Order: sequence, then structure tokens, then C-alpha cells
Amino acid sequence: MKLNTSVISKEFKNKFCKPFFMLLAFMFLCSHDLYLKMETYFLQPNQEVTLSLYNGTFENSENIITRDRMLDASILAHGKREAINPNQWQDQDSTITQLTFNAGEAGTYVAGVSTKARNIALAAEEFNSYLEHDGVLDMLEYRTNHNLLDQDAVESYQKHVKVIYQVGDTKTNDWNTVFSYPIEFVPQTNPYEKYSGEKLEVQLLSDGKPLPNQLVFADYIKSAHAHTHNDHSHKHEHGGEAHSHEHPHDDEEHDHTHEPQEAHTHTSGQQLRTNAQGMVMVDLPEDGIYYLRTIHMINVTDSDELTHQSKWATLTFEITHKHDSSTHTHEEHHHEDGIPTWGFILGSLLIIGVLFLVFRKKN
Amino acid sequence: MKYINLKQGLSLLLLFVPLLGVAHDVTSADQELLRNGGLWAYIQVGATHMLTGYDHLLFLAGAVFYLNSFKDILKFITVFTIGHCITLIGATYTAITANEHLVDAVIALSVLYKGIENLDGFKKMNVKSPNLLLMVGIFGLIHGFGLSTRLQSFDNGQEQFLAKILCFNLGVEAGQVLALIPIVLILTLSRKHNQFPAFYKAVNWYLVLAGIGLFMFQLYGYFHGH
Repeated sequence: MKLNTSVISKEFKNKFCKPFFMLLAFMFLCSHDLYLKMETYFLQPNQEVTLSLYNGTFENSENIITRDRMLDASILAHGKREAINPNQWQDQDSTITQLTFNAGEAGTYVAGVSTKARNIALAAEEFNSYLEHDGVLDMLEYRTNHNLLDQDAVESYQKHVKVIYQVGDTKTNDWNTVFSYPIEFVPQTNPYEKYSGEKLEVQLLSDGKPLPNQLVFADYIKSAHAHTHNDHSHKHEHGGEAHSHEHPHDDEEHDHTHEPQEAHTHTSGQQLRTNAQGMVMVDLPEDGIYYLRTIHMINVTDSDELTHQSKWATLTFEITHKHDSSTHTHEEHHHEDGIPTWGFILGSLLIIGVLFLVFRKKN
Repeated sequence: MKYINLKQGLSLLLLFVPLLGVAHDVTSADQELLRNGGLWAYIQVGATHMLTGYDHLLFLAGAVFYLNSFKDILKFITVFTIGHCITLIGATYTAITANEHLVDAVIALSVLYKGIENLDGFKKMNVKSPNLLLMVGIFGLIHGFGLSTRLQSFDNGQEQFLAKILCFNLGVEAGQVLALIPIVLILTLSRKHNQFPAFYKAVNWYLVLAGIGLFMFQLYGYFHGH
């Protein structure tokens, strides 16, 4: 019997090689979201604060942002928007870019960073994989429906990120200021006047106009002070053997290792779609640091170089619970760390009672 | 020990030590309340802190136990209040602080001191008893510093800073009055009872044990970073 080697070879390719390379593509070629992240978003006036640019996922940063990429970096408060001096940014290591500054007077602050567009060329399978894992599902559906899944892509991408944080007790009205970024989230209520268990309406603007029918992902982590993050440990090993790779959406040369399944989670949490006014309603189920992300991608038809253009946006803020008599009693304050008040009183009475009996007997 | 031996005393002390962990909780919930509740929250937290700050209450109980007349009680409480107001307001406003455990350890010693003094401990040790009013004033300053350290452990912000301190102080005074009412009432009623001497000794030995227990607890916290 003659073996048909070409058939076997094709089968091997389809059954083993293709999934393997797809997995490799997923592991190595996932993109980087950009977030502005803080230890806590509730600050005291004039305290020293560090703002970190997380380029990767919300939990793990994998690349720094070079200053020449920043089109805008600014902080808005009390109606005044001030540009951040590029020299103020420091690279904490090869993965996190940070800004340390004085929190200033009480108020609700907005900080934003907008980056220049960059191009990337991706093979068809890599591109499809990235669309799937980064939640650019509309473009993936378009490619599927139009039999374009086998077409390579050259994509122009740009990232525009904002954070809203609260200094002191005073709530001010800068939280809904439009930064005029190519794409940006604008909350419809001050997030610091919202509490866990409530909802926050957020508008997505593209070039200043509401962006309808756009997928938005919203997720949260527990507040930074509630647990510790091992933010800076990006070196993990797979089966005792480390690997290194480059990420196509950030072409700074770097070499690092990481856990792909953990590091590349981009579509967790709520999956929302903007309405005709570009609005999404975000659930705020519990206390935590919330982050919204979206990638708006379009086909480019009038360029020899590009096939796609994408605009990325994130928004970060922190939500806490309401503090009134309906949610707190002073009794429960003292339940957190030890025996409740009644325990102390009963214990004391018991000891005094025993002592009293002893002394009465002696007398 | 005249009435109870060392073994009995230590047994009671060990029984009491676990209860000491509840003295002075400053919780994240208190912080949240202060952050969002404005000046009223400072009054609330001040009063709550006094009512659940057992070391302050134990010292107050010890101070009034020794006194017979309402006039004396008023005099001593006034001196104690002036003392703790000075350090509470002054230290907080000027941001003078110290390790909480060490300050609370000294406050614990004030409770121990009061128990020993009430039991005529100094006389029995042939040591001249310090001036009671002066000691209450000094301990008032120390308790105020403890309250200030506690207040400074909150993030108070810069807005209305003095008003916040004064409101916390007002809350402390309100809590003190609320705590003193039942203490003085129980004391007044118990004095008429023929078992008062046994009650007197029981309460003051309890202060001695509580003072030692609180002192040990705070030192443990200091050395073990609790």
C-alpha cells in the first residue's frame, strides 16, 4: 500500500501545526492596552502621588511608553488643564512608566495621555487572533462575512487614556471635560458621586462625536489597599524554562518573560455596546478600581500602505461604598479587628464579678 | 498580694488579655466615614472613640472612684479635660505624633497607676503618693496625645483642618460625658451598699490587671508590628 505523503503532511499541518502556531501567535502577538493606574484614586490634598502608565493589561505592565510617543499628557482640575512636562516621567523599570507629583488642592481631577499613531503589519492569522482576543469582534465578524480572513493587515493604531481621581472631600466639575482626543470616554456623572451597587453612564466619543454601536469592556479589581499586587514581578517561568518575545503593538525592543494566560486578558468583565448616543451603562457591583476599554477599528480603503486603523481608549476610576447610617453602624467598626464591644464589657464584668466574690469572701 | 495570690492574679490577667485587642480600633470604615461625612462625622468618630476607647474610660472610672463629692469629681474631670484638650488640639494641629503603641502603653500605665493609688499601693510601699490633681492633669495630657495620635492616623486632608480637630475634640467630650453618667451613677449607688469595700477592691484590682494587660498588649504590638 502506497502512502500518500502529501495528504499526511497536510493532515499533520492542519491538526497539529496550525493550532500550535495559532497558540504561539496568541501567546506572543497579543496587543497591549494602555491604562493610567494609581495605588488609590482617593488622595489627600498635597500628598505625593504616583501615576503609572500600564502598557499591557490592567494587572501587568509589559512595556514602557517612550516620551516621543506622547502627543498629550495633561492633568485637569479646577477648570485648568496643565501639560505634564515630559521630563517628569520616569521609567521605573523596563515595563512601567511613572509620574510622581503633588496631588494639589481638593477636587475631582482628570489626567489623560494620548499617543501617536503607529503602524504594524500582521499576517492574516495573527491579525484574526488578535481581533478575537482583544475583543475587536465587529471587525472579525466583518472579515468572516466578507471572506477576508486570509488577508494580511497593516494597521495604524493609537491609544488615548484617561483617569479620574478624587483629592480630598470636595467634588469639582472637571470630570466630564472632553479632552478632544481622537477617542475618549466621558462619564455622565462624577464617578466619585457614585457608589458600589449603582450604575454609571459613560459616553464614548470619537473625534468629539458620540460613537454608536461600539463594543466596550468594563471590569474592575478590588481596591489596591485591600490587597497587595505584585506589580513588578513580570518574570515567570513556564515549566521552569523562561521565554522571551516581542509584542507587535509596541515595538520598543524588550525582552521579558510572562504568563500568557494571565497577562493577556483583555475582554473580561462586562461586555457592553454603545447606543445611538454613544452611551453605555456600567454596573458598579462592588468597591474597586474600575477600568473601561474599547478598540474602535475601521477598514482603510484610501491608503496604499494601510488596511486598517484603530483607536484605543481606556478610562480608570475607583468606586467605594456609600457611608451613611444605612450601611454602617459604629458597632461594626469595632467588629473588624477583634472582639466586639459587648465582649469587652461582658469580659470586664465577669472579671470584676469574680474579684468581687473573692474579696467579699475574704472580708 | 494581700488578698489574692500571684497565681490567681496571673490567671485573671491571662483571661483578660484577649479582650484588650478591642481598645482603640481605627478602622477603614471610620476613615471612610470621615472622608465623606464632613465635620459631623468627626464629632461622631470622636464620641465613638471615647466610648470604645476603654483605656480612657478605665482611667476615668479609676479617677472618679477615689472621689466622694460631686465637686471633686467635677474638679478632676475638668483638669483631665483641659489636659487632653491641650495635647489633642495642639499635637494634631502641629502634626506632632509618636508611635501609637508606645503612647497607648503609657496610657495603660496611667490605668495601672490609678488602680494602685486607689488601693493605697503607694502607702503600702512606703512611697509618698504624688499630688492627685497634678497626676490627673499630666495623664490628661498623655491621653490627649493618644487621642491626637489616633486622629492623625486618619487621612484628614487640609480643608477645615482646625474645625475637624475641634469637632473630634467635641465628640470626645460628648463621649466622655456619656460614659461618666453611668460610671458616677453606679459608684454613687454602690457606696451606699454594705459590700462597697469588696466592690471597691474588685474594681481597682481589675484596673491594675487591665493596666498591666493593656501595657503588655501595646508593647507586644510595638515589637511585633501589630
